[in-house]
Amino acid sequence: MKKNTHINDSDLFAESFHKSGRLFTLICLILISLMPVVYCITAGVTPIWTSILKAIPFMFSYILIALVEIFSYAPLLSVGGQYMAYITGNISNLKLPCAINAQNITKTKRGTEEQEIITTIAISVSSIVTTIIIAIGLIPLSIFGKDIVDVLKPVTPYVIPAIFGGLGVVLLARYFKLTIVPFAIMLVIALVTFLIDQDLGQSVMLTIGMVISLISAYIIHKRGSKKIKLAEARADDFYSEEEDDLLAD
Amino acid sequence: MPTDYVGVYILGVIIVLSIIGMATYYLIKSLKRAKAIGMSPAIIKNAIKSSAVFSVLPSIPIVIGVGVMMSYLGLAIPWIRLTVIGALQYELLAMDQVGITQAIPTPELIGTAAIIMTFSIVAGPIFNIVAYRKLQHKLVDLERNNKRLLDTITGALLGGILAGLASHIIIGAFFSGGAVAEDGITTAANGYITLITLAISMVTMAVCGILITKLKWTKLENYALPITILVAMGSAYALTFAF
Repeated sequence: MKKNTHINDSDLFAESFHKSGRLFTLICLILISLMPVVYCITAGVTPIWTSILKAIPFMFSYILIALVEIFSYAPLLSVGGQYMAYITGNISNLKLPCAINAQNITKTKRGTEEQEIITTIAISVSSIVTTIIIAIGLIPLSIFGKDIVDVLKPVTPYVIPAIFGGLGVVLLARYFKLTIVPFAIMLVIALVTFLIDQDLGQSVMLTIGMVISLISAYIIHKRGSKKIKLAEARADDFYSEEEDDLLAD
Repeated sequence: MPTDYVGVYILGVIIVLSIIGMATYYLIKSLKRAKAIGMSPAIIKNAIKSSAVFSVLPSIPIVIGVGVMMSYLGLAIPWIRLTVIGALQYELLAMDQVGITQAIPTPELIGTAAIIMTFSIVAGPIFNIVAYRKLQHKLVDLERNNKRLLDTITGALLGGILAGLASHIIIGAFFSGGAVAEDGITTAANGYITLITLAISMVTMAVCGILITKLKWTKLENYALPITILVAMGSAYALTFAF
């Protein structure tokens, strides 16, 4: 009885996050979309419509990537985390690693409300910290301009290897079986694309990696289910044989 | 640097306040819920502390990204764009759809680039408004009816992220080798430094893991990943002088 009340509370909690999340997303989306409008009005210019039309295939490709990503990230981010991550961005290089780190440290179990709360807290805190740091960063940028950028720019390409080396050790230790096959396949794909001089870029590779990993995991899951069913069938046979023996006795 | 306009800065401040308001709302609601279901305050404190510390270092390249883009778009537009959904690599590709890096950035070009940068990336938030609730309900149903399958899916997605990124980093690094390609906008990675940074990051995390599990340095647990990133990025910075 107590368990049912707990589940209902949890559902209500998630539902309140959906309501507020959709409202916040709508407000932020309007504000974000206003930026080019405000720029064009204050600068007194009209955009070059032909350039926008030419960019439609580019825009369309990013819409497709975003849709694949959203399905892939949804099970990993909490309800609140999903709404926040899709407003503040930097998901794969900041929000998701931050959430995984918090989940590991607090040792919360996957699929529990505890993990949902920890993930939301991690993404909230990360969003606040990053937003404040970027805003503060405007001060040295406006004073020193390109000089400060030139000093720090050489280290920027190494952020992703710095994060994912450490995080990779944690994920490999936990999901070795699920990771090793897609990793091998992705290595081959990366090798072929680089050999034909067609670097797909990190976001596309990440999306392909998740799709391949899902297919590979599904096969592993099916095999696991078959094994469980076989074991259950064997156990049934064993017990029915025992029953037969008992009846015969 | 192109001219910035007060109106755009004011909008930027409103966006920043909205984001902080949204995040604070979710933080407070989650803290209340954590208390209601009896979660340990120590665990919550750990999650807050580790997330705050973790977020500092990866935020610095975002600031540098604002600096990289300011030569073409001024300061206010990159600030807004990198505060909201998107990431530096995407923003650079989007803004260059009008060839802004090859031309003198006029207000017309900047306005056009801003439109492309903004509207190419709105699919995610629109999906969240329209359909995420339904998707999340399906995930909850799946969790209740077949938890094993959902566990496999989430594990696979995390593994997929690792497989996709690691393969691109490793193979890309082998192909670029020691050449530091400058495209005039960003600094492309030196392959050797990338591989060494990746290795240093992995080794540092493995050492932290040993210290935590074998020597029971449990306090290190909260800071293992931030320390790993700091050591790896510090090494990468030092290596840029060597290669």
